[in-house]
Amino acid sequence: MSNNLLSIRSLKKRFGGLQAVNVDKFDFNENQITSLIGPNGAGKTTFFDLITRFQNADSGSINFDGKNVTRLNSYKLARLGMVRTFQLTRVFDRMSVYENMQFAGSSITNEGFLNSLIQSSSLKNHEKLLIEKINETLELLNLSDMKNSYARELSGGQKKLLELGRSLMKSPKILLLDEPLAGVNPKLSEQLLQIIFDLNKKGINILMVEHNIDAVMKISERVVVMAEGKIISDGKPDFVRSDKNVIEAYLGSSNE
Amino acid sequence: MKKYIIAFFLLVISFLYIFLSNETGGARVFVNLMTFAGIYGLAAIGINVHFGWTGLLNFGHAAFMGIGAYTTVLLIPHSLGREGVVISSGLPLPLAILIGILAAALLGLFLGLPTLRLRGDYLAIVTIAAAEIFRLLVRDFEDLTGGVYGIIQFSDSLQNSRPDFITRFGESYDISPSQFWVGLLTWISIIVVLLILSRLKKSPWGRALRAVREDEDAVRALGKNAVLLKLQSFMLGAAIGGLSGIFLVFNYGTVQASTFVPVLTFYVWAALILGGVGSLAGPALGAVIFWVIIAGTDSISRFLFESPDGQQLAGVRFVIVGLLIMFFMIFRPSGILGKKEELLLDVK
Ligand SMILES: Nc1ncnc2c1ncn2[C@@H]1O[C@H](COP(=O)(O)OP(=O)(O)OP(=O)(O)O)[C@@H](O)[C@H]1O
Ligand SMILES: [Mg+2]
Repeated sequence: MSNNLLSIRSLKKRFGGLQAVNVDKFDFNENQITSLIGPNGAGKTTFFDLITRFQNADSGSINFDGKNVTRLNSYKLARLGMVRTFQLTRVFDRMSVYENMQFAGSSITNEGFLNSLIQSSSLKNHEKLLIEKINETLELLNLSDMKNSYARELSGGQKKLLELGRSLMKSPKILLLDEPLAGVNPKLSEQLLQIIFDLNKKGINILMVEHNIDAVMKISERVVVMAEGKIISDGKPDFVRSDKNVIEAYLGSSNE
Repeated sequence: MKKYIIAFFLLVISFLYIFLSNETGGARVFVNLMTFAGIYGLAAIGINVHFGWTGLLNFGHAAFMGIGAYTTVLLIPHSLGREGVVISSGLPLPLAILIGILAAALLGLFLGLPTLRLRGDYLAIVTIAAAEIFRLLVRDFEDLTGGVYGIIQFSDSLQNSRPDFITRFGESYDISPSQFWVGLLTWISIIVVLLILSRLKKSPWGRALRAVREDEDAVRALGKNAVLLKLQSFMLGAAIGGLSGIFLVFNYGTVQASTFVPVLTFYVWAALILGGVGSLAGPALGAVIFWVIIAGTDSISRFLFESPDGQQLAGVRFVIVGLLIMFFMIFRPSGILGKKEELLLDVK
């Protein structure tokens, strides 16, 4: 097989009478920002759920980083470097912003029951080393001022940022972002796009679902369009923009 | 800070009430209440690890308390209730207690493995059922457990270790020395358990449990094994419950199937809610207040009925405890020591 970071074959998921996802072939090429667009209910989030193993596919295969991960547990897949965010933001409400970041960054070894009871000096050192990375990331996302607030107290947009920040603590190989700009104001959207762009330059692969077409066309090297569970178009932004199928199924309605 | 002042005054008022309402035997009543409070407090600390730290709903704590108690008692010299079969050999008490605690943790593992993968509500249902199954099994396996007649004469293993000065102190203040010894050991255990827990709470493990409480899916997305964390928390809380069950039966001096009825779990939850879900020392404080209130309800019963029988006493207790929980849920859902910002019991 090819040396793609992510490669998916005949992935299917059905909800009752509805074929929510039916993707024959999807390969993710490294070092590109790829966007996944499509009308509401197209199956984008479900597709993400299947790839990240948050839902079981009915059939099909998923290969990630040279391994067959079709049956792998979601948390193990995350450990391999595939980290996602959620369309409906999931922050740890009754923990501080800082603790949210700490949890994301802390090592699994240190979270072992016995290690936490004994609290060796290596555990304490590791926790200290985290501080710098947390502060850097919060700075990057303009969240430094909110460090000690409960995550619950953040605005919707800030929660999106925190979720992104948490994911960055994992130093992922690929980030799957489900509508990172939803509910974020235009100015912050601009900044966030820049951040995503910079992350990609640093070698983090990005696959994102986003409804903001202008942003998508600006930032993506590749755009994939889904409708009714299927991929109906796939290519450079300009190609997709002028694709007849896409205009019919999706763009047309918003360009009238 | 304010809440600690409130807690302090509540305690002072409670103790004053005990000593003023009992012209004779105030010390005896005090020790009796504090022993029960310690036992319920320890049990509530276990549920707090489950619910306050991890968000796990355990409504069958009586089963963990029970299995700890029965395991320990059966491993030391004892006699079975009705036939009076005397078993005069056994393990040293500390070892038996350790195995009792372990048995409770294992029951946690056994119940947790199949249910903790499922949605939260399943655990609540399974724990309710498990506690009742446990009680019925204990009742029916008479050969092993003495059934409804229970197990007696196991207290010597503990009371033989009682230092002389406790005995002398007890006798000179008209306190039951054996109960004083159980109560003292219970409160020492609470301090040790709380010291360990405060260390764990601040550790990466404790933080991970809180993350699980807030959002399991996000925990998974960050590469952490939420099921394992829940299982560990469930076993730890169960083990603490087991220890409290052991003290409970040493306090009674006997143990029957009816010791571990569902209302036991209900009262332990009441103590937790009063004290403050999620706080470290809250459950122990809640248990003290709870037991003072129980004593108070008994005087209300005597006021309402000329000489109240057991049923009337229990009825009044139920009403008062129920009203009290409602009061707290509405006006102070964070309990006495809980953090308002980390409110876990939302009544909206
Ligand atoms: N758990 C479920 N049970 C039944 N149907 C579901 C479930 N999850 C999703 N669906 C259906 O599958 C289809 C795809 O949903 P999905 O959330 O993947 O769409 P989406 O492309 O992410 O849409 P949006 O842009 O609105 O977020 C929808 O028709 C939805 O109703
Ligand atoms: Mg979606």
